[in-house]
Order: sequence, then C-alpha cells, then structure tokens
Amino acid sequence: MALHFVRSPVVSSARALTARVIGFVLALGLGALVLGIAGFDSLHLGRQIIVKSLGSQFGLEDLGLLYTPLLLTGLAVTVMARMGLWNIGADGQFYLGAFVTTAIGLFIKGPEPFMLVLMFFAGAAGGALWILVPTLAKAYAKVDEIITTLLLNFVALLLVYYVATGPWRDRVSGTTASTGRVPYKMPDFFGSLHWGFVIALAAPILFALALRYTKWGYEVRLSGANPDAAHYAGIPVRRRLITIMLLSGAIAGIAGMLEVAGTVHRLQGGISNNYGYLGVMVAVLARGSALGVIAGAFLMALILNAGIILQTQGLTTSAVLALTGLIMLFTAIADQFAHYRLVRPRAATA
Amino acid sequence: MDIITGILATAVLAGGVLALAALGEVLAERVGVFNLGVEGLMALGGVTGIIAVTIIPNPFFGFAMALVVGLVFGAIFALATVTFRANQVLCGLALTMLGSGLAVTVGKPYSGMPAKAQFDKVIIPYLSDLPILGRALFSQNILVYLIYLIIPAVISFVLFRTRHGMNVRAVGENPAAADSAGIPVTLIRFTYVTIGAALGAGAGAYLTLAFVPSWSDGVVAGRGWIAVALVIFAGYRPFWAVFGALLFGVITALGFVGQARNWPIAPPFLSMLPYLGTIAAMILPVFVWKRLRLSFTAPAGLGIPYFRDER
Repeated sequence: MALHFVRSPVVSSARALTARVIGFVLALGLGALVLGIAGFDSLHLGRQIIVKSLGSQFGLEDLGLLYTPLLLTGLAVTVMARMGLWNIGADGQFYLGAFVTTAIGLFIKGPEPFMLVLMFFAGAAGGALWILVPTLAKAYAKVDEIITTLLLNFVALLLVYYVATGPWRDRVSGTTASTGRVPYKMPDFFGSLHWGFVIALAAPILFALALRYTKWGYEVRLSGANPDAAHYAGIPVRRRLITIMLLSGAIAGIAGMLEVAGTVHRLQGGISNNYGYLGVMVAVLARGSALGVIAGAFLMALILNAGIILQTQGLTTSAVLALTGLIMLFTAIADQFAHYRLVRPRAATA
Repeated sequence: MDIITGILATAVLAGGVLALAALGEVLAERVGVFNLGVEGLMALGGVTGIIAVTIIPNPFFGFAMALVVGLVFGAIFALATVTFRANQVLCGLALTMLGSGLAVTVGKPYSGMPAKAQFDKVIIPYLSDLPILGRALFSQNILVYLIYLIIPAVISFVLFRTRHGMNVRAVGENPAAADSAGIPVTLIRFTYVTIGAALGAGAGAYLTLAFVPSWSDGVVAGRGWIAVALVIFAGYRPFWAVFGALLFGVITALGFVGQARNWPIAPPFLSMLPYLGTIAAMILPVFVWKRLRLSFTAPAGLGIPYFRDER
C-alpha cells in the first residue's frame, strides 16, 4: 500500500492554525496573481498597505475606526454561533441600530451624556427588535434563521434608504443621500478614534467572562453543545435561545449606534459598509470563541483597510469583497484539511 | 382586465428568475448539499451573459456562457463541499461574496448599458389569443416555457420516476446507506451540485438578458436568497418551486404596478414586499398546514458532509 490520508476527528490548535495560515497565504497569493495578471504591481500594493495602515498615527486611527464595528458584528455572529445558529442578518440589525440612533439624535433634545446613553440603549433595542421575528420563528416554529435574518437585511436597507433620501433628507447642505448631522458625538479616545472602540473591545471580553463564570453562560454553552441533553437536565433551552438571539441583534445594533454617534454622524444608504456580512467572516476566523473575535476582527480590519488603500490605487470595494470571499473559502477548506494526516502504513507482517 | 393581464405577464417574467435559481437549488439540496452561494452565482451568470452578448449579439450564446461559468464555479463549490467536505454554510457564503464581488468588479465597464441582445417573445399561435391569460402566459420569451414547464418536468421525471432518481434521492436522505448499496455518493453529489449551480448562473443571465435587461451593481438584489427560501417553502419539489416563484412574481409585479400607477405608498416600501412575503411564506405554513409540512421536510442528509470512515 502507498501513502494515504487518515482523518482524525479532533484537531490540535497548532495544526488548525497552521492549516489556516497556509490557506490564508494561498488565498492572498491567488488574489495577488489575479491582480498581477490584471496589470497591478502586487508586491508594491502589499508594501503600500502595510506602510499606510500600520506606519502612521492616521493609519492606526483609520484602522481602529474599521476595527470597532467589526468587533461588534463579529461578536454578534459569534454569540449566536455558540448556540449553533447563524446570524446572517447583522447588517440589517446594524442598520436598525443606526436608524434608531439617528431618529433620537435628530428629534430629541437633551444634555449630551444623557443623550448618548439613551442612543446606546435605543440602538441595542433597535437591533434586538430587528431579529425578534426570526427569533420567535426559530424558537416556536423551527424556521431556518439563516434566511429569515438575511432577508431582513434588504428590508432594513430599503428603510434606511427611504428615510435618508426622503423625510429625513439633509436640507442644510443639500446632499440627497443622507440625513442631517446628528448633534451628539461620542468623545474621542485617541486622535479621531472615539470611546466606542473601548466599548467594542470590552464587549467580547465581557461575553467570554459571562459565558465562563455565570450559570447563564454554562446553560448557554450546554444548550449549544447538546440541546437534548440540556433540555433533559432541566435547562430552559428555548428561553436561552431567545435571549441569545436578541442579545446578538442588540450587539449588532450597538455597532450601528456607534457608527452613527462616533464615526459617520449621519445616516446614509451605505452606512453598514457590509460590516454585518464581514462579521460572519470574523466569527468564522474566531471559531466560535468570543476572545478569538478580537483577533479575527483585527485581521478583517486590516483586509478592509487594505481595500480602502487599494481603492486609491484603482481597485474597487467589490474587489475586496471578492478577495474576502476567496479567503473565507480557503479558510473553510483549510479547517477541513487540518483533520487529515498523511500516514505511511507499517509493512504488512505475514 | 388589462391590469390583470399586465400583472400576470410581469409576474410570469419576474418569477422565471426565481424559478430557475430555485430549480438549481432543488438539485443541490436533493443530494444533501446546502448551496448558499446562489446569490453570487446569479451575479456571475448575469454579468457573463451581458459580456457575452457584447461580443456575439445572440442571447442564446450569452445564456450558454453563463451556464458554463456556473459549471466552473459550481465545480469549485462542489470540490470544496463534496470532495474536501468543508462546511457548506461557510463555502456558500464565501461563494456569494466571491461571486458578487467578482461580478461587480468585472462588470464595471458594462454597468447601466442596455443588453446588446435579448430574448424575444415567442408568441404561441391561438393560445396567445385567449382572454386575460393568453398574453400573460403564451406571449413570453422562450426561456419562460423552458423554466416553467420543460426543466421542472425533466427534473421531476428523473428524480421521481427513474431508478437513477431514486439513487439520487437516497444520497440526499441517507448517504451512508446509499454508499453501502454501491451508489457513488461523491460522484452524484458533485454532479448535481455542479448542474444546480449552472442553473443558478443561468437565472442570472435570464435576469440580465430577458427581464431587466441590463447589468448594474445591485441587480440581483437578494433574489438568490429568495430562491433558497423558496426551495424550503416548496418542500424540495420542482413544480412547487416553480409555483412558489410565480407567487413571488405576482408580489414583485404588484410592486411595479404600484409604482407605475402612483399608489400612495413610497416605492422603497413596495420594494420590501418580496422579502417580507418570503419571510411570511416561511413562517405561516408551519402554523396553517402542519400536516403538509410533515411531507415537505428537508432531505435527512441535508447540510451534513459525508465521511465514509465515520459511518
């Protein structure tokens, strides 16, 4: 017999990580090759990306502004992944969080600290509200959450598009595609980076602690690992599922709130910048670990920032989306390849 | 009367996009593979169709090239999910991102231009003179007849009336049992996923060569996802999928009519109808027809990679 592959059901973290790095490098290599054929100088582009995003304070601030929403949408998807569920609707929940925040910012007057707290909780409530129907449908009728959460993204986008170009249109500066400026602003933390960054960085840590050290966290982990066993042990699985899904929506809503109150300061059609979909990618990179989100979101922020730098060199956001898809495909394959080991069978004994 | 004919005609035309994509997804899910990449495949097919007819102005050439591109990307997806057994949800989402991103990048120079060639109406004599239904059903482009009758009939016949079809369904229901009966599980999964993906890309070409007919950035607009939802709604049955697609065609057509006739509802809200309708269609039947849902359940092996050594 010749060499053959044997599959092992469990993989060590080192093997998994090695497989991923190889997958990631291959995906980037393939992307660079395609860009090279299209007439771009891939090596030069790569150097530009590293120098511009990590080499200056402006670069780091921009990176932080991209990192903030990705931390939260990545966490939102991860929270639900802990229960074996997919939230592909973080984009819509993000839009709703931004929508509610803008509504309050434009139409209610009050002292800034109070208003920011109000906007924070309203943004969370908006995101949770947007996932309410998929949650109830999943909990009481076992309707697939992937599609219901996803379809609501389109509804949210249309809603935001409608208010931003219609009733809430900016009448001062005359732009047609966004609302007026929201007068309440998250205080700055580092240069143009606002305190929302700290909130976004703390969120995965808080969730990891809650999961590890509280009874609720234990019940969530058990319900995710084996719903039948959890039910048998007397854990209210359905109630945990509902809270987890609403929490996931709320986190994505907060991401939208921070984007309006901290970074963009107004509501516009493309405000989500695909953060919800990229959050799925972050969760995949994080392998369901809340702390892994911190690393996964950083990598995704680097890729996204690279995309913005590439745009100045003549590439589009859609090229970045395609590259992200390629990386995700290679990551998924690499995760599977990590299970295989090349085995040389011992010589047959007679 | 004219308004009903108009709505029906648009509904048939609009529903065709969803029907073809849903038929492709039926093939993939019947063999146990959940393809969430339909949205990306449709974008790729749509842009391929437009580019192809710019080179050779013949809609059949455009449609055929879209099928080829669908086969290629379907084979890549099948290689990842069937041969390598990678996570189907992830690979599907990756295919959607890759396909949508690639299509928009490649299609940039063609964005907004009308298609250089498009499918013409094929008027069926006598039948098209029928009152109300005649113009709606029998004065459509040739793909409509293919999508609503011939393709679902062929798929139904193969799946439910042949020995091969029984093997195919067995692979989706219980791959381990199929494998021990000597059915080539991996080959059948690979083939049907790839053909299904080609139909998805074909739906994209139908969109840009027969329905819109032009290419622009957001032209697919979630239709791939609605098609995936339709398959669940249709209980994985080809003719039900086509019927469901027609229902959604009606919803889409109502939105168009509303905009054309200045109904007092803002256009974005009319555009929400297909998405809200899909969600309603996924939730309501569970409560209304509980008995029906039992026979409409998903293939038992759906979404689970098959490992022979873990049998």
